[in-house]
Amino acid sequence: MSAAGVRADHSFFWRKLHSFSGIFPVGAFLAEHFWSNSYALVSVAKYNEASRELQTIPWRIFVEAGAIWLPILYHGGYGVYVWWKGKSNVSQYPWVGNWMYLLQRWSGLIAFVFIGWHVYTERFLTQGKSTFADVDKALANPWYFGFYLLGIVAASFHLGSGLWNFLCKWGLAATSRSQRAAGYLGAVVAVVFSVVGVAIALSIRYHWRPFEFYVQ
Amino acid sequence: MAEKKSVIVRVRRQAGPNERPHWEEFELASRPHMNVIICLRDIAERPITRDGKATSPITYDSNCLEEVCGSCAMVINGKARMACSALVDSLTQPIRIEPMTKFPVVRDLSVDRGVMFENLKRMRAWVPIDGTHNLGEGPRMSPDTQAKAYPLSRCITCGMCLEVCPQVNDNNQFIGAAIISQVRLFNLHPTGAMHARERLEAVMGPGGVADCANAQNCVQICPKQIPLTESIAEVNRQSIKQALLGWLFG
Ligand code: FES
Repeated sequence: MSAAGVRADHSFFWRKLHSFSGIFPVGAFLAEHFWSNSYALVSVAKYNEASRELQTIPWRIFVEAGAIWLPILYHGGYGVYVWWKGKSNVSQYPWVGNWMYLLQRWSGLIAFVFIGWHVYTERFLTQGKSTFADVDKALANPWYFGFYLLGIVAASFHLGSGLWNFLCKWGLAATSRSQRAAGYLGAVVAVVFSVVGVAIALSIRYHWRPFEFYVQ
Repeated sequence: MAEKKSVIVRVRRQAGPNERPHWEEFELASRPHMNVIICLRDIAERPITRDGKATSPITYDSNCLEEVCGSCAMVINGKARMACSALVDSLTQPIRIEPMTKFPVVRDLSVDRGVMFENLKRMRAWVPIDGTHNLGEGPRMSPDTQAKAYPLSRCITCGMCLEVCPQVNDNNQFIGAAIISQVRLFNLHPTGAMHARERLEAVMGPGGVADCANAQNCVQICPKQIPLTESIAEVNRQSIKQALLGWLFG
């Protein structure tokens, strides 16, 4: 670390890591998670097969802790700190970017609480052997189902808007044109993730399997 | 038809940095093309409140009256504005005039923007050429670079980008968009670029570019239409590169 004294804290590092960790591994895991759970749209057998496949990977606990839990804990925890360091003023200056700033904080909090509860119920209460029947049972409860929908949309929005933020904050979108393009990319990601996530929740709750013909 | 129109102005006043603020209301004769500075001048000419009490003239900063000096930024009807270009005809009355909230109040509407100057110094936002011997001519600046640099050089340090930024507050020492944009400006300058690394080290420090949370309010409010969010992203790019590759390649 050069020029000692100038860099009196490491917030640059932690802040950039925070932004990056939201995309990788947290965002990447969300993509994987939605992908695997999409087997619910094919059949129960396929869903359970995909779950068992993931539940029996080698070094599972280390992969879970290192690539999923710690990054999410860090991203969420540091996110709360970042929230505390800002003071929203959207009522005074109701511009789109300012709204996104506020929504990014609320969606992050909702997603974080949801993920905590979701991991507790579907990972720990089931001893890491969750099956279709377990999730089916949880989603039969209308409150749980509603919380799932909220959590899915919040996480999807947070990822899409976070992707835009990431591209700006890492200087990868450095002109107003590329920032606008990054904004559209983020919007597409948010919509696609929301649609896929909600489709999975609907599929499990209502036993709706649009891709069942694959296995018939 | 010939009724005399009047302008109602409410001013948030404060006798000193630690005094309690209070509001005073004034009724002024309307004149064509009046702006907020004219209102404050009219009050100074006849410092009597609407309910007839004698008071003192209002302290405020202004100079150029044409939106180039940057001194007259205040909060008008709840929004940061340059008072000299805030036309009374375009404002709903009573017009509420307050000092900016992100800087310490000196008196009434006058605030101390010294923190911006301190941060410009901290970020080495200048081109150092002083020395003991003649350094000769510097490298030439390409027209392309000139075109990029000119808009950035128009910054008037009015402080409105800090005023509207959610990241500038008591919990945070964020230096704000204007200062980051100056880092970009001087890194763009062919002679200034010789000290680019020092500026990047500084801007990666406390309150630096990483504290931007991309609300992008700065670019909306900037009276000089400076592409502040481009500047921030560009300084982000340069500092990320410095952070990732600096320790490898120096
Ligand atoms: S008086 Fe100079 S900008 Fe308003």
